[in-house]
Amino acid sequence: MKSRWLLWACCTLIPAILAAQDLQEFEKKITEFDLPNGLHFIVLRRPQAPVVSMVTQVNVGSANDPAGKTGLAHMLEHMAFKGTDSLGTNNWLAEKKWLSDVESTYDKLEIEKNKGPRGSAEAMKKLEGELKAAIEKANGYVVKEAYSKIVSQNGGVGMNASTSNEVTTYFYSLPSNRIELWFLLTSQVFRQPIMREFYKERDVVREERRRSFESNPQGKMQDVLLTTAFLAHPQRTLIGWASDIENLRARDAEALFKTYYVPSNMVMVLAGDVDPAEMKRLAQVYFGGIPAGPAPPRIITEEPKQEGERRTAVEAQAQPFVYIGYKRPEAGHADAAPLSVLAGAMSGRAGILYKELVEEKKVSLVTFAADSFIGGKFQGLFTFIVVPAAGKTGDDNEKALNLIIERMKKEKVDQAILDRVKTQVRAGLVRALDSNMGMAQRLASNYILYGDWRRMFTRIQEVDKVTADDVLRVAKTYLIDNNKTAVYLKTPGEKKDGDKEAAK
Amino acid sequence: MILSILLSVATAIATAQTAAPKKSVKDLKFKPLGEIKIPEISSFTLPNGMRVHLLENHELPLVRGNATIRVGNVFDPADKTGLADVFDQSLRLGGTKDKTGDQINQLLENIAASVESGVGETSGSLSFNTLREHSDVVLGIFHDLLVAPEFRQDKIDVVKTQLRSAIARRNDNASGITSREFSSLLYGPTTPWGRDMEYETLERVSRDDLIAYHKRFYFPSNVILSISGDFVSSTLHAKLEKMFADWTVKQNPAPAFPPVTHKAKPGIHLAEKPDVTQAFFRLGHMGGLLSDKDYPALEVMNDILGGNGFSSRLMQKVRSDMGLAYNVSSSWGVGFHHPGLFSITGGTKSSSIVDALKAVYGEVERIRTNEVTDEELQIAKDSTLNSFVFNFASPAQTLGRLITYEYNGYPKDFLFQYQKAVAAVTKADVLRVAKQYLKPEEFVVVVTGNSKDFGTQLTALNQPVAKIDLTIPEPKRAAAKMDAGSMAKGKQLLAELQKAVGGADKLAAVQDYSHTADVSLTSGQGGMKVTQITQVIPPAIRFEQVLPFGRVIIFSDGKGSGWLKTPQGEMPMPAQVAKQAAEELFRVQPWLWLSDRDPNRTVNATGARTVEISDKSNNWIKLTLAENGLLEKVNFKGGDGSVEAEAVYSDWKDVNGLKLPHGAKLSQGGKPAADISVKEYRINSGLKMEELGKK
Repeated sequence: MKSRWLLWACCTLIPAILAAQDLQEFEKKITEFDLPNGLHFIVLRRPQAPVVSMVTQVNVGSANDPAGKTGLAHMLEHMAFKGTDSLGTNNWLAEKKWLSDVESTYDKLEIEKNKGPRGSAEAMKKLEGELKAAIEKANGYVVKEAYSKIVSQNGGVGMNASTSNEVTTYFYSLPSNRIELWFLLTSQVFRQPIMREFYKERDVVREERRRSFESNPQGKMQDVLLTTAFLAHPQRTLIGWASDIENLRARDAEALFKTYYVPSNMVMVLAGDVDPAEMKRLAQVYFGGIPAGPAPPRIITEEPKQEGERRTAVEAQAQPFVYIGYKRPEAGHADAAPLSVLAGAMSGRAGILYKELVEEKKVSLVTFAADSFIGGKFQGLFTFIVVPAAGKTGDDNEKALNLIIERMKKEKVDQAILDRVKTQVRAGLVRALDSNMGMAQRLASNYILYGDWRRMFTRIQEVDKVTADDVLRVAKTYLIDNNKTAVYLKTPGEKKDGDKEAAK
Repeated sequence: MILSILLSVATAIATAQTAAPKKSVKDLKFKPLGEIKIPEISSFTLPNGMRVHLLENHELPLVRGNATIRVGNVFDPADKTGLADVFDQSLRLGGTKDKTGDQINQLLENIAASVESGVGETSGSLSFNTLREHSDVVLGIFHDLLVAPEFRQDKIDVVKTQLRSAIARRNDNASGITSREFSSLLYGPTTPWGRDMEYETLERVSRDDLIAYHKRFYFPSNVILSISGDFVSSTLHAKLEKMFADWTVKQNPAPAFPPVTHKAKPGIHLAEKPDVTQAFFRLGHMGGLLSDKDYPALEVMNDILGGNGFSSRLMQKVRSDMGLAYNVSSSWGVGFHHPGLFSITGGTKSSSIVDALKAVYGEVERIRTNEVTDEELQIAKDSTLNSFVFNFASPAQTLGRLITYEYNGYPKDFLFQYQKAVAAVTKADVLRVAKQYLKPEEFVVVVTGNSKDFGTQLTALNQPVAKIDLTIPEPKRAAAKMDAGSMAKGKQLLAELQKAVGGADKLAAVQDYSHTADVSLTSGQGGMKVTQITQVIPPAIRFEQVLPFGRVIIFSDGKGSGWLKTPQGEMPMPAQVAKQAAEELFRVQPWLWLSDRDPNRTVNATGARTVEISDKSNNWIKLTLAENGLLEKVNFKGGDGSVEAEAVYSDWKDVNGLKLPHGAKLSQGGKPAADISVKEYRINSGLKMEELGKK
């Protein structure tokens, strides 16, 4: 027994030493450089297989959408797959003429609409007809999905993109001998995006909203959690309001591009079997000609101080569900590490949420705690999700969860729990190293969020320094009513506790 | 130093030479692809008969392993469907002889390791993942869970609670409903491939079943073990041999998986989900086997139709041309030994569902009628062949594939055969397989959505439209003994009751019924007072409750329509409220007491003075008669179906020649819930349907 304890002690020490070594070892595989226009490149050399993953991250998200134009950053993301002036068209000059005709006709239509009750219905109808005709004309020159076909034909896999509240990410993988294809296509798209089929794609985005938010109980809840917790900060709308999306304009997307897609506001990461010197050369050749631009404007609006708990409900034909978010500071804040340890201490099968709510009290089917529900650039939400077990209500769950939260605010977590969380954070990084795409994504997001990819390693040292006192302090500081927003999913007609029996 | 200067000069020259970017993709010339490294795998069979494959990979300090077990949930007995689900979770959570599941959780999470168990349709697995320095500890737990899991009862209870919740939640999500109902219709809702776990089948699974299941399927020669990562093969080989030396149990080989035999009837099936703005659809029919001679051509065909993302026809037509969908795709479904399902899946705004489906049918017809273009064929083939290298992106993938082929009895080089066959596919092949294998006239179509918002109803597709019943069957109670004698006794008891309350003829003459009651809830139930008005003209029923915060009214016409009105607003009747209304109707007293005249109800004595009335919809109530022939009490299904409710009657008074109870004490699950006092009954007061339906 004694020897076993010794073994344990040395085992928990080893990874701590490894972490520092890991960074040094890892740095050898990384090549990092800026082009004169400010575009930053990170190349991770990983020659295990002749493949490479590419991630482009742009420091713009739905939080940067202009008022009345929510969903614009996301819409622009969709346009990046529409091709270039030489790919995706059979006559660019003619197409360009009609695209500009579409915009000028749309302008006229909006002028008429802006007149309100004095606008002419007849004129609007005529303009709508002309707009439709111009769109059809422009579409006549489109070579469908030429961009994705060429990528796919070259063995590209997993091509997609995502827009969060704070960042837009484009990614796919290629056989490594074809990497120049990525340079060519990406440089053309990011030099001059083309608003090809914009208004058809707008319908697609509208469908995406229907699918992911309007027709999905959890999507509805996430939407409501954000808009309830954040009243002022523009990160509150993730995909945009339906009516805004339905009225987005190509011209606005171009303006957003000009402002935010400047080289110094982007990072490009290549991870896989590529030669860094060759990558540097290709980067200069293909991206060197993109003009530099000024840093885009920062977000001014700060969320005003919350006064009192917020609580709301979403109706859906589904079983109950509870989301609870507590406001917390951005990822760069000194309390970020203790908050992630707090979330780690509560999570997992050995965590207090699972043990108490799922196993002992059997009130929950699933429990979940995350130190941040959305990114990390802005103030975020320390989030609990509890899924009530059959026959249990959201109230039952929230009450049981509150008991745990109160305990976290009174009692220090023990050393074993701290050690567990720290080990898990370290192991998480080791496991992430196993995938080109996973690493490329981490390198990109750490660079955008913190200005340095090394943060993914140094963060481990910050987590290592967290004490039980720190965890207690952040629990007391942030898990309070004035930071809290609770969202319940309720079935239509579901009554509150108490009146259930009256229905008999 | 000199060397590096030379190198940088060389780079500068190279840069100067190629400073202009290439303009077009056509200008690009690619070097041949670097060598694909096929990792070396050490394979052997342990003396106990267990197959082992080891793959050393020292890139990261990790060790991962997986035991593949020949088992599958298609072996679940029909009356215990869900057995495999209870089994796989309980295996992990139930712990081993010397460690409880909680201790294992703690131990593994402390070292950031995991051991997980799963049983799918036709294979089972127990896997682990650990940092190298903890591999002995984790391998030990893995071994103990594989060889001798303890299945502690308290954890089986947790698992069953969880699975009950999963059943309750299975209709929450429209896309989940669509895919589940689609497979169930095609594989057959009562076959091992298509049936769902229900409360009742789950309830029957016991710890003994789990132990027997483990004994039957978890034995050395039924297991393939594979481990990859940072270890030395020879050392690990020796370690495994020692570790598994005592595990020598023998069993007959696992039986063959049951064949797929169901023939589905074509047609459209609609699952109503009133709270969604998008209609989800999936349509198709049986697919084929991976070993089919035409499989490579079918994959190429499917890529062109809808399998290859943005490049495919369905995506181009329905998403980018028509803007009707965010996602639409097709899959030529295959299995190793049983047919998969060919399916086309997508979602569109409710109003355009018929347009989207018509466009999908149009694309299916097109690929069956005309040859694809050279360009389409080229893109589809190039996509597969050029991305082939991603099958070897990590050594673990190669190992995983080896196991899958070995488990299913496929040749080791199957993937390379497939690659060769794809390269040989012609346009004529694509047309031939599309014609031969895609049969739109056999399509089973499942649509989940809010049909009230469909621009055009599904009947416009000229096919029969059936509604899918999403009702989740409640657990049947253990049936009481029932024979001719007990049923005769039941009728006799009911006749005694009928006589005591005023006679069967009096009861039969009731046309309409209403009562107004004061209900005072016990403090445990909220402690408030509620007025309740119930009005019935069978099969229509209306309840109105006057609550402190306003009125709640439910109206059901008994034919499937109705509404619910609350202080927050009005809405069409939700499914669970409709069910509640049907249950209430079943229990309305004058008609309940005449149940022997209703051919849909069964009347059966279950005690000396107790008669049980039930129907095919799983409604039931037990009446217990007092000495005087009136009711002493009734017992019935409680609010959420999980606990029994009881009403003890008192204060019988005459109303229009019928004796009716004016007082009742209600309890639920043995706890007092409410006192009910009826202020007024009205029988045959000339109640009108309009009054019932008044908002």
